[in-house]
Amino acid sequence: MDNTVLEIKNLKTYFFTRSGVVKAVDGVSFGLRKGESLCLVGESGCGKTTAALAVLRLVDSPPGRIIDGEILYHGEDLLRCSSERLRQIRGNRIAMIFQDPQSSLNPVFTVGDQIAEQIKLHLRLKHKPAIERTLHLMEQVGIPQARERMRDYPHQFSGGMKQRVMIAAALSCDPEILVADEPTTALDTTIKAQILEIFRDLKQKRNMSILFITHDLGTVAGIADKIVVMYGGRLAEAGTALDIFDQPKHPYTLGLINCLPNISTRKDRLTPIPGMIPSLIDPPEGCIFNPRCERRMPICSQERPKEVVLSGEHLIACHLYS
Amino acid sequence: MKRGGLQGYIIRRLIYAVLIALGVVTITFILLRLGPISPADKYLANMSARSQDPSQVIAAVEARYGLDKPIYEQYINYVTNLVRGDWGWSFSTSMPVMKLIQRHWIYSFQLILLSMLFSASLGILIGVYSAVKQYTKTDYLATFFSFIGISIPNFWLGIMLILVFSVQLGWFKTYYDTGLPMFSLANLKALILPVITLGTGMMAGYTRYARSATLDNLRKEFVRTARAKGLPERVVIGKHVFRNAILPIITIIMFDLSGIVFGGAYLTEIIFGIPGLGRISFNAIFASDYPVVVTITLIGAMVVLLTNLATDIVYTRLDPRIRYD
Amino acid sequence: MRQISSKVGGLRNLIFIGAFLVLILILLLDIYLVDQTLEPLRYFYLFFAILVIFYGIYPLYVNRRLTKYYWERTKRHRLSVFGLVFIIFLVTVALIGPFLTQDPTKVSFQEKNLPPLGFSIQQSVYDLKTGEFVTRETPGTWKHTLGTDDKGRDMLAMLVSGARVSLQVGLLATLIAIFIGTIMGVLSAYLGGWADNVLMRFTDIMMTFPFFLLLVFIIFIFGPSLVFIILAIGLTGWTGTARLVRSDTLSLRTREFIMASKSLGASGSRIIFRHLIPNVISSIIVIATLSIPGVILAEAALSFIGLGDPTVTSWGLILNAGQRSLDTAWWVAVEPGFMLFLTVLAFNFLGDGIRDAFDPRSQL
Repeated sequence: MDNTVLEIKNLKTYFFTRSGVVKAVDGVSFGLRKGESLCLVGESGCGKTTAALAVLRLVDSPPGRIIDGEILYHGEDLLRCSSERLRQIRGNRIAMIFQDPQSSLNPVFTVGDQIAEQIKLHLRLKHKPAIERTLHLMEQVGIPQARERMRDYPHQFSGGMKQRVMIAAALSCDPEILVADEPTTALDTTIKAQILEIFRDLKQKRNMSILFITHDLGTVAGIADKIVVMYGGRLAEAGTALDIFDQPKHPYTLGLINCLPNISTRKDRLTPIPGMIPSLIDPPEGCIFNPRCERRMPICSQERPKEVVLSGEHLIACHLYS
Repeated sequence: MKRGGLQGYIIRRLIYAVLIALGVVTITFILLRLGPISPADKYLANMSARSQDPSQVIAAVEARYGLDKPIYEQYINYVTNLVRGDWGWSFSTSMPVMKLIQRHWIYSFQLILLSMLFSASLGILIGVYSAVKQYTKTDYLATFFSFIGISIPNFWLGIMLILVFSVQLGWFKTYYDTGLPMFSLANLKALILPVITLGTGMMAGYTRYARSATLDNLRKEFVRTARAKGLPERVVIGKHVFRNAILPIITIIMFDLSGIVFGGAYLTEIIFGIPGLGRISFNAIFASDYPVVVTITLIGAMVVLLTNLATDIVYTRLDPRIRYD
Repeated sequence: MRQISSKVGGLRNLIFIGAFLVLILILLLDIYLVDQTLEPLRYFYLFFAILVIFYGIYPLYVNRRLTKYYWERTKRHRLSVFGLVFIIFLVTVALIGPFLTQDPTKVSFQEKNLPPLGFSIQQSVYDLKTGEFVTRETPGTWKHTLGTDDKGRDMLAMLVSGARVSLQVGLLATLIAIFIGTIMGVLSAYLGGWADNVLMRFTDIMMTFPFFLLLVFIIFIFGPSLVFIILAIGLTGWTGTARLVRSDTLSLRTREFIMASKSLGASGSRIIFRHLIPNVISSIIVIATLSIPGVILAEAALSFIGLGDPTVTSWGLILNAGQRSLDTAWWVAVEPGFMLFLTVLAFNFLGDGIRDAFDPRSQL
C-alpha cells in the first residue's frame, strides 16, 4: 500500500442560495501522502477554501451542501461517518487552522485556555499536565515568555503571534494531517517567512502531512511538495512542485506564473490574465476557463475536459492535451 | 498599568453617577415648583386640617421647607435634606417617609427579584435555543409568542390571570396576603400570579435579545474553530457562543430596568394589592401626600442609577477587551 | 423670493412655515377674540397634520418608485400587513364609530351588567314585583352587542370612544416625543463637542427616571387632563429616540463629510442637510411606529390607576371598572384589554415589518 493518508475523490460542494445554485467545488480529486505537503492554489473564489472545509465537514450547512464525492482518511469516508467519529477526528487526527487569527480565536477566553481545551478533550489530561503541555507547545511555535502570556487574551497578541497560537492549538494533539487555510495571507512578509518556517519544521521533524491553501505562488514555492491548481471550482492542473513550476502546461497555470513580477527579466508592464472570474451559478459551457483562454479551441466551449496524466503525477484537464 | 486604569475608570464613573444624581434631584425640584397648585400648599392644607393647632403646623412646615425663603435657598435645603436622610413626613400614614419606605420596600424587592430571575432565565434559555434552531418551527413559535408577550398589556394580563385562576378556578386568592412570612412556601404561592404578570412582558423582551445576540455570535469564525477542534456541539454553543453572547444580553437586561420593570411592578402591585413602594406611592397620590410620591420617584431613579453603575463595572470585568484609558 | 426660499432649504419649507404661522395666527385670534371655539387639542392635531402632510406624505408621493420599493418589501411580511389592516380598521372605527353607536355615557340601571351577545350569565336581580332577589339567567341582547358595564353603559360605544382616545394620544404623544428626540439627536450629533456633551448628559439624566414613575409624578403635579397626559408622555418619552437619531446622524455625518470634502469641495451645510435628513427619516419612521404601542399603553395604564382624564372614556378606565366587577361582569375587563392587546400587537407587527423593509442589510 502506498502511504496515502487522505484521498479526495470527485468532491462536489454546492451552495443553495436565493439567487441560484453556486457550484463552488465541482468535481475535484487529489491525494495526500504521509509527510507530504500539498498546496491548493488558485484565485479567490476558485473553491479551494470550500474544498478544504469539506474535509472536516465544516462547510456552512444551511446554504452549502456536499452533494457528492468521497473523502477517504486511511480508507474511511469522512463524508459518511457518524458525527461522533467526526468529532473524534477533528482536532485530534486532522487539525485545521484558518485565515484570520483575530476572528478565529475566541476573544473572551485566554490563549492558554483555548490551547488546553483540545488537550483536555482528546487526550483526557487533567488540568496541570494539560497546562504543561500547552506551555511546551507555545515554546515550540516560538512564543516568548509562554508562562506569562498563557493567561493573556487574543487581542493582546500581534498578528503573527496569534497565528502561532492557532498553530500551537492545532498541533496540541499531534495530528496526522494539518489543513491550513491561507494561514499567512493576513500577515506581514517577514512574519510570513517565519510562519512558513514553522510549517517546514513540522513536515520534517514530525513527518506531518500538510494541506496548504493559498493564492500566493511565492508561498507555494517555499513549501509545496505537490501542487493542485484550481479554477472555477474545478481542477486545472496538478503535479509535483517541479512539474508545475518547471513545466506548466495548462494555460491558466501559465497565466498565473506569468503574472509574477520577475526581477531578472525587465518588463515595462505586468501581464495579467484577461477577463473576469466566471459566475459559479451559471458557468460557461465546456471548459470553465475557455472564455479567458488564449489557446481556445472550438471543443473547449462544448465539452468539459477530462483529467489526463501527462507523466508520473502530473495531471491536466485541458483539451490541448487530451 | 492595567490596575490603575480600572480604578481611575471606577472613580470617574462614580463622579459621573453623583452628577447625574444631582441632575435628577434638580429636575424633580424644578418640576415640583412648576406645578400649578403647589403640592406644598395642598400638603399644608391637609396637615393643618388634621392637627389641633394649625398655625403651629404651618410654622413648622414653613420652617422645614423654607417656603418663604428665596428659591435657591429652598433648593439647597431640599438637596441637603435628601442627602441627610430626612425625607419628610407622611401625614396619611403618620410616620416619617423614611420609616414608611423601610417597611414596604421589601415587598417590591421580592416581586422584582423573583420576576427578573424567572424571566431572565427562561427568556435566555428560549432565546438561545431559538437562535440555534433558526428557521425551524420552534423558532417561529418562540418568536411569535415573544411578540404576543411584548404586546400584552401587563395590567390586563394580571386581571385576566385573576379572572381565570382566582375567580373562576379558585386556585389563588384575589389579593395578596401580607401576613405570610417571607420565606415560606405560601408566600411563594401567593406570588406566582404577580410574578407571571410582571415577568411575561420582560421575558418576551429577553427572548428577543438573547436570540439576536446568539445569532450574531453564531456567525462568528471562532465558532468554526471550536467545531474544528472536535468539541461537541453543546460545548460550542454552551461555552463559546454563550460566553460571548452573555455580554450584550446582561447589558440590555440591566439597562432595561428603568423602562419596563418599575412601571410594570407599580401596576402589578396595585392590581394584586402587594404593599410595595408602588402601591404606597399610589395611595399617597390620592391622599396628596406629596413627600412620599417625590421620595419614591427619586428612589426609583437612584436604583436605576446604581444598577447602571454596577452593570458598567461588572461589564469591564466580564469583557477582557475593554481598556480603561 | 427665491433667495428666501433657498435660505430655508426649499420652497416646501417656506410654505410649511407659512402654514404654521397662519395656524398660530388663528390660535391667537381664537384665544383673544372668539374665546376658544376649538379646544387646544385641535390645534395640536392641525399642526401635526400639516407637518405630516408636508414632510411625510408629500415626499412619499414624489418618490413614488422608492415608496413602491419599500411597500413591496413590507408586503412580504404577512404579519405586518395584518397589522396595517387592523390599524386602518381601528382608525375607521374611531372616526366613524361615534356616529353609529349609542351614547357611551348614557347610564341605565335597568340594563346594567348585561353580557355580550351569545353569552348568558346567572344574575341575582331584585324583582320589583315580588320584592325579593331572584336568580335569573340573563342573555345578551342585540341592542348591547358587547354587553354593558355595571352602570348600564353600552360596551361597544365605550370601546369605540376608547379607540378614539388611544389613537389620538398615541399619535400626538408619539409625534411630540419623536419631534423632541429628533431635534435633540440631530443637534447633538451635528454640533458636536460641548453642545453634544451637555445634551447627552441631559438625556442621561432623563433616562435615569423610570418612565412610568416620572409620568405618574408629572400627572400628580399637573393634574390629569388629556392635554397634560399627552404632553407628559411626549416630554418623557423622547430619550430613546434622541439616542438612536444621534448615533444614526453621527455615522452618516462621517460618511457624508468625507465624500463631500473630497468630491464636492465647499458645498456648505445645506447639501449635507439634504442628504442627512432623508436617511435619518427612515429610522425615525421605524422608531415612531414602534413607540406608539408604548404610548398607548402608558395612557391606558394611567387611566387604569385613576390618573387619566375622567371626562374621557379610555380603555384603561373601562378596565378599571372591570377589575371591580370580575365576578359579576367579566366582559367589562376582558374586552378593553383585548382591544389594547390587539392594537399594540398590530403596531408591533407593522413596525417590525417596516424595520425589516428599511434595513439595507436585510436579506429580503
